[in-house]
Amino acid sequence: MALVTNRLMCIKNSRAYLKASLYPLSNGVPPEQAHTRRYRRPGVPPENIPPWKRINLNFAKGVEGVKKHFGLLKKEMLDRFEGPEGRPLKEHILEQTRVIWEFRGPESLAHWVASSDREIGGKSEAYMKMGRNNLTVLLYGNLCTEVPRDGETRYSGYCSLRSKQLLGAFDRKKHHDWSSFNSLYLRIRGDGRPWMINIAAETYFSHQKDDMYNYFLFTRGGPYWQDVKIPFSKFFLSSRGRIQDSQHPLWLDKINTIGFTLGDKADGPFQLEIDFIGVCNDRAHTEEFAYEKYKRNPEV
Amino acid sequence: SRRFHTSARRPDAKPAPSSERTDQERESPHAGTGKTLATYEDLFEQAARDSRTKATFTRVLEVFCKKDVRRRGHVEFIYAALKKMPEFGVEGDLSVYNRLLDVFPKEVFVPRNYIQRMFNHYPRQQECGVQVLEHMENYGVMPNVETKVLLVQIFGEKSHPVRKYQRLMYWFPRFKHVNPYPVPRELPRDPVDLARLSLQRIAGDLDARVTVYEVQPLARMPSTDLSESGEGLSQLYVVGSQSPSQQTLLSKHNPERPVFVEGPFPLWLRKTCVYYYTVRADPLPPGEKVDEPVDPERNFFYPLELDLDLDRDLGDDDDFDVDEVEEGPVFALCMASSGDQATLGKWISGLQETNPILGRTPTVFRLNPGPREIQASSEPERKEDEDLLQSRKMTQ
Repeated sequence: MALVTNRLMCIKNSRAYLKASLYPLSNGVPPEQAHTRRYRRPGVPPENIPPWKRINLNFAKGVEGVKKHFGLLKKEMLDRFEGPEGRPLKEHILEQTRVIWEFRGPESLAHWVASSDREIGGKSEAYMKMGRNNLTVLLYGNLCTEVPRDGETRYSGYCSLRSKQLLGAFDRKKHHDWSSFNSLYLRIRGDGRPWMINIAAETYFSHQKDDMYNYFLFTRGGPYWQDVKIPFSKFFLSSRGRIQDSQHPLWLDKINTIGFTLGDKADGPFQLEIDFIGVCNDRAHTEEFAYEKYKRNPEV
Repeated sequence: SRRFHTSARRPDAKPAPSSERTDQERESPHAGTGKTLATYEDLFEQAARDSRTKATFTRVLEVFCKKDVRRRGHVEFIYAALKKMPEFGVEGDLSVYNRLLDVFPKEVFVPRNYIQRMFNHYPRQQECGVQVLEHMENYGVMPNVETKVLLVQIFGEKSHPVRKYQRLMYWFPRFKHVNPYPVPRELPRDPVDLARLSLQRIAGDLDARVTVYEVQPLARMPSTDLSESGEGLSQLYVVGSQSPSQQTLLSKHNPERPVFVEGPFPLWLRKTCVYYYTVRADPLPPGEKVDEPVDPERNFFYPLELDLDLDRDLGDDDDFDVDEVEEGPVFALCMASSGDQATLGKWISGLQETNPILGRTPTVFRLNPGPREIQASSEPERKEDEDLLQSRKMTQ
């Protein structure tokens, strides 16, 4: 018996060895899976579920899905008769402010995802719940900068709240169109910690998939609400958390998600209460972009 | 355990390691050769035994530099030094970083022709240089011209560390003063001064007056916890803040409705967290709200209210179509050494002197269990300790 298991172990090890020798440059993973959408924790083998196993056949869920998607499709088709994007034309042209997210009930939490560095093995926690009288959203938790010991990660300690991608009928990607506005307006109540706002726009090339436009959100702390207005010209481009050398302004016509991140290297509990998030057209703000667009650090 | 199948050995070679080895010998990695493995971190740890200061740290750097002109093992040494910097407390010191960059041998890594420039000349050393600058970036240390000169001498222009330096010098000045509510780098040590600073920060009103209601000098309390080092010094302080508009709001408050003392709420100043308490009332139900008519004699230059029936076009409307969150008015803020009712009671009695209405209003204490458990019950309205104090008579 021991001989048989020993033999099997030998075969398994040899298969792993063969794979590692087949794909030496991408850590034993076939190259098409090397740049997957998901983060692969170091040490965790890549899950190779074949596509025919991923289908989930469930009748009740299917019926629900059909009802939901056809309902959305009907709504989309009827909205066109009302005006562009379902709003009357006069409103679409003349509006100077628009409220994008208003947290007035538990169903508004379904559009948001709270995450922390638990996904990479850290010890921070982030939770999201309705605030006072169901009128605000409260993001709270604990930040811990202890680095997970997996040999690859060097920094840790972050929490974030990110909106989900807008989906139309049949899970088509829909985008926010903020082209008639030029500033982001928030009403928040923080505890004095500096946050960062990340806006992810729709990209074309796969190299740009981690591109995000960021800017700081400084909270004052205290019992009073804080109104924050940040023009979109101040957002700088970063990819995978690193500021890029070639900067360009954020294009407002196809925005996917907006998120708030906390990573100020201070261990301890945190709290952020958001009343609403809107966009406005500040006619006094004429700046197109706050950073230089020419090529800095030219090549050798 | 089987013998190794090795090729023919030379007669003077060392014998193959036998399988019968003691545990001790197996532990030390160079058992056969008689040497021990010492890392560069041990050098720092030896120095740390005397004291963990900038002087000892720089001494270790000097010792390494003087040991060998060629600076063998400098990459590993610099990585170990970067790891040990927070322990010695020098991570915010630019001169130490410059000395650390001085450890690199100069002009050896500068590429001399286009092939060397193309092929990432001395990649390990360049990566080490980039890591030093990233350490500086993490701790918010702005490099200076000495750093640039050193980097250019070591790696040449258009190398990765110099590019990283250029990025630092582009972005750091831009983001240095971007905080509309800046926190001073050096926070005051005295808790009363710290409380004054934070209350001025959160009051939201420039007219707010900060008053120190009670400060007891440092009293030595017997420390019950044996693991605490030193004596248990504690200072009782109660510092409060109230602005004239808050005072008028409180004077208009209906004495039959109770007033709530809520807390502790966290406030972060850089890396320290302080806690504050508020006195507020519940919002009035819509039926009881009274809008006082504005006195037209307050301003003679222009009318404060106009009774014109004009509507704004959608193109001129800059307000957001959101119902404002109804919250009761805040009457005063305070910070205290401890959040128990006795200390806060001193604050309330101090407030009573300037706001006599508090004497007739019932005060309810809605205190959370304590700062440590704030993450479990972080909702500000959780009532853990509700103590109804009956109407206090003014005792003056």
